Amino acid sequence: MKKLLLGIVALALAGGVVAQSAAGDPKVYKIGAILAMSGQASWYGTVMSQGIKQAVEEINAKGGVNAIPLEAVIDDHKSGNAQEGVSAMNRLLSIHGVKIVLTSFSAPTLAIAPLADQNQVLLLNGGGVSNNLVGASKYIFHNRSLAADLGRAAALHAQSMGAKRMAVLHWKNDAGDNIVRAVQPMWEKGGGSIVAVEAVPQGATNMDTQIAKVRSANPDIVALWMFAPEVGIAVKRLRELGMKQPLIGVEYTANDAKIAGEHGEGYLFINDYFQPSAEFPWSQQFAQGYERRYNAKPEFYAANYYEAVYVVAELLRRARAQGGDYLNGEVLKKALYSNPKFDSVYGGQMVFQPNGVAFKRVGLFKVEGGQNKFQKYIEVR
Amino acid sequence: MDYILHVLVMVALFAILATSFNLLIGYSGLFALSHAAFFGIGAYATAIVALKLGLPFPIPLLMGLAVTAVAGVVVALPALRISGDYLVIVSLALQVIVIAVMLNWTGLTGGTDGIRGIPRIQILGASLDTAAKFLPLAVIVAALCYWGSWRVGASPFGRALKAMRENEAAAQAAGKNIVAMKLAVFAIAAALASVAGSLYAQYVTFISADSFTLELTIYVLAMVILGGTGNLAGSLVGAALLVVLPELLKFVDLPPDIADKLRQLFYGVLLIVMLRLRPQGLLPESASAHHYLAPAVRPRVDRPIAAAALEGRGLEKRFGGIVAVSKLDLALAPGRITGLIGPNGAGKTTAFNLLTGFIEPDAGEVAYRGRLLKGLKPHRIVRLGIARSFQDLKLFTRLTVLENVLVALPRQRGDHLAYVYFTPWAVASEERANLGRAMAILEFVGLQQRAAEPAADLSYAEEKLLAVARLLATDAEVLLFDEPLSGLAPNTLREMQPIFRRLADSGRTLAIIEHNLDVIRELCDTAVFLDEGRKLAQDTPERLMQDPVLAERYFK
Amino acid sequence: MDLVLQLLVNGLVNGSHYALLGLSFGLIFGTTRITHFAYGSLYALSAYACWWVTAKLGLPLVAGFAAGIAAGAAAGLLSYGLLYRPFERAGSPPLVILIASLGLFIVVENAIGIVFGTDTKVVPSPPASLFLVGPAAFTSVQLAQLGALVVIVLGLWLFLSQTRFGRAVRAQTDNPEMATIIGIDTVRLSALVFALGSAIAAVPACLILVKDGGTAYMGFLAVFMGFVAVVVGGIGSLRGAVAGGYALGLVESLGLWKIPSEWQSTIAFVVLFMVLLFRPQGLFAGRQ
Repeated sequence: MKKLLLGIVALALAGGVVAQSAAGDPKVYKIGAILAMSGQASWYGTVMSQGIKQAVEEINAKGGVNAIPLEAVIDDHKSGNAQEGVSAMNRLLSIHGVKIVLTSFSAPTLAIAPLADQNQVLLLNGGGVSNNLVGASKYIFHNRSLAADLGRAAALHAQSMGAKRMAVLHWKNDAGDNIVRAVQPMWEKGGGSIVAVEAVPQGATNMDTQIAKVRSANPDIVALWMFAPEVGIAVKRLRELGMKQPLIGVEYTANDAKIAGEHGEGYLFINDYFQPSAEFPWSQQFAQGYERRYNAKPEFYAANYYEAVYVVAELLRRARAQGGDYLNGEVLKKALYSNPKFDSVYGGQMVFQPNGVAFKRVGLFKVEGGQNKFQKYIEVR
Repeated sequence: MDYILHVLVMVALFAILATSFNLLIGYSGLFALSHAAFFGIGAYATAIVALKLGLPFPIPLLMGLAVTAVAGVVVALPALRISGDYLVIVSLALQVIVIAVMLNWTGLTGGTDGIRGIPRIQILGASLDTAAKFLPLAVIVAALCYWGSWRVGASPFGRALKAMRENEAAAQAAGKNIVAMKLAVFAIAAALASVAGSLYAQYVTFISADSFTLELTIYVLAMVILGGTGNLAGSLVGAALLVVLPELLKFVDLPPDIADKLRQLFYGVLLIVMLRLRPQGLLPESASAHHYLAPAVRPRVDRPIAAAALEGRGLEKRFGGIVAVSKLDLALAPGRITGLIGPNGAGKTTAFNLLTGFIEPDAGEVAYRGRLLKGLKPHRIVRLGIARSFQDLKLFTRLTVLENVLVALPRQRGDHLAYVYFTPWAVASEERANLGRAMAILEFVGLQQRAAEPAADLSYAEEKLLAVARLLATDAEVLLFDEPLSGLAPNTLREMQPIFRRLADSGRTLAIIEHNLDVIRELCDTAVFLDEGRKLAQDTPERLMQDPVLAERYFK
Repeated sequence: MDLVLQLLVNGLVNGSHYALLGLSFGLIFGTTRITHFAYGSLYALSAYACWWVTAKLGLPLVAGFAAGIAAGAAAGLLSYGLLYRPFERAGSPPLVILIASLGLFIVVENAIGIVFGTDTKVVPSPPASLFLVGPAAFTSVQLAQLGALVVIVLGLWLFLSQTRFGRAVRAQTDNPEMATIIGIDTVRLSALVFALGSAIAAVPACLILVKDGGTAYMGFLAVFMGFVAVVVGGIGSLRGAVAGGYALGLVESLGLWKIPSEWQSTIAFVVLFMVLLFRPQGLFAGRQ
């Protein structure tokens, strides 16, 4: 009798399994994320994961996607270590069976790209800015403007300000070098000269020597091709050491604002145009939700990853409509290009280009009264 | 599943790194923190050769190996002069320079972009593009590297490395060419690290400078220490543990925003706990001699030989403003025991140092068998037949008594890596014969019961005996003993004194520095009185001690 | 010429910072022979204590410094008593203690990140005045770094030469076996040295907090530089630690006069390596 019962149970379970795979729907949509959750750059991981979690909560609160809940599986590449990224990817693939991964930082992304190709995993990058990341995988997409584009936009504005002598402080990594290489030719073509190029290792806090060389080069404008939190330190020290020239850069997060304090006044920077306002209801709703959960104003990094989850949700909807085995990078990619326009939490829509990069408007911001005040859009072509 | 296979690949790579690092810091005591740089050079060299020249496996690996071995020698060169904590800076310098080159020499290394799209390894037409396919190769290569390291460690060369680690001067006095040894071990350790780098490059297919930083070296260091320095199997265990542990911790469910930091914290705690439980490391230092082999042939230690005279003529040595030795003429005759006596600071040990090449005289010359010994390194002079012991013994404390003697035996094929790798059978049979010789020497001084004990566990008297035994092991014809009997109880003295007599009677040339006048009277045929670097008198001990002037200075 | 002067000023200021790191690390390393890698995270802890008192509790900066120093001393004492002493008693080789220290470093570093979060901590500081020496500019914080070194060197010198404890410290640094023989309680002394060294380390930590802000990971560079300064200056010599720190600061700064800043660390290490090549025992022959 017991054997019979066991047999029935086993059959039922097997039947259940068979029935499930026939429908092609998993119990839960797992979205992997490989972020800087520990180590020197863990601030990025904190804000990015917060954006992801908020999106997942919101979507699940509305019943999930295709009536299936989302689950974020967040893993760690230890502030940009390629080997850790590969291990994390392997974990996500083997143990969690994810087919969609939100990635960040150049080295881990480049390291996991071959695995993504082999396993047909969709990659979404909302943070890394290096040119190398474009097309690194068949299935990689970006909803973040490339550093080179941001830099050129900044240089364009600097030109319009009439500056001729530019001194540069930049991150010594691919993002920083990309900007230096992108800006130099256009600046010189515009009749200007680059009077100093000083490299700062990512993670360094003492840049006094580099600043000394910048100072002695007597520039009209100082360009900061670096990201958080070094840009905050740079702004602070440049001003503390008495430099009055305009400063222009490509980032200024709340972390940087905190470090620079009042020295940040008048700082100009180009950024993905993220400014929560009533004009763009989704951005405001996101910002309010973020503030409620995390007691802090949202960074655009958080917005990018929040938005990426919504893109994923949309892709899942589209792909499932096609039927069949749709949890697959190839299918999801096709679903993306079937209509490359997506709502952006920034406001309006973003359009994924054939190269995988979502075109977002970049804006010029100025720090006024401790706030980032939007000045205007800049076209970079 | 692929994840586990990937972890195993990483274990294999780190096993190579840990065992090679162990050779350097565990066996040789060369604390060089440049291992990540060697790993990186191998990776970059392979990437460049495979990508730009399209050469198939294993050519990129071999080329990377060659380049990195050269880099290893480059680090070794300053290591010849500096040691210990100071070597750390030198190796850190290399580490920093290598990373800077990787980041800035954009034409060669891709600069900050790194190198992507490195071709996978093709074996028999199959591309090793998954962890499952790569793992067999990784394991085979790791096994080969382990074997390579193990051959070094388990051979007489490895024993000599450990002796050098314990005390460089004593290793030189045992006839070891420590310069050559340091260069060799650096080259090997670097080459092995580059093999791991080479595999890594063609496994991940993307490399950039931030994979090869000091943090990686520290990670590998932790594996070596945890596993137990001086034990290569320990390094395997350490590598496996420290690669797998963080992965296992991932299975502990924690709130995501602090999960990874919390896991790192646990990892740190576990590291401390493991070390606390086994403070010497997980596996103990491995001995290189097989004590259980029963040697049959025991040649006599005091067999008759025809030794020759050792002469120092007009030796001068100053240290700064202090005259250590001045116009010193010393003639040591074969078959005789010459005593050197005099107050502290008289220049007795300096005289020994001058005679054996540990320091160069400012003037004067040293001649042996009529031949001038000018500019010869101590290990060369030992091989010629002149050996000395040290006042502070300088025993190889972490080696066994038997190993202390073994390492000093002359003309060992096993000291040369070429023989170790290419004629291991010849090395093994010579080792067996040497075991017999070493046991004979231990019997001669009466230490054979303690053969398997670490030298650190000996009593004071036994230590003195071991120092004598080690000196005898060199098979030198001229034996210079620096206070061999100081601090010993009278009955121990009575037991040990005949040893010296027997050695002199067999034809050897002996000199002894001693403060104990009874010993001098009983043992020495002639005695030299030194004071303030000058020879004041030489005569039989009785006549010297009756001299009123000398009595005033010394014989109170 | 202007640039050289500015680089010189920078070098002296940074040199003071590194000298303080070298002094504190060297005091501990030279006297106890423990490679206190965890120094880096205790350094960060001091900075966080200062931040907590200043930014969270709203007390003046002086109170923050006092809190940082107290926290540093306490942490140093605890690390010796709870971590190092058991290993010492078990007769562990120095390398094992080094890795245990690494473990502590990882624990504290991540604990700080978990408890306080990952953003950069800043303290509300009085407006930084700008000083000019000819064309060379520096701020009040940098002046404070220089001043702190002078004060601490003076204080430490007095302590080491005039007090009984100080003399005992010098004895133990020179020869630990002899120190035990002549009746010095080396355990108590080591504990004191840990507390003192960590307290001194808190000063540059808090100054950096004011100057650049603090993160949980600010300690790695600090212990690295402290170690280098001590080795180059000569282990066991506090004069050497100061000299090593200045050598490091000056070379790092002046070395970039004509050379692109990408090569900053390379230049520094090449020069230091040359120093060791010609003086293998360090600038001031410390203990071998």
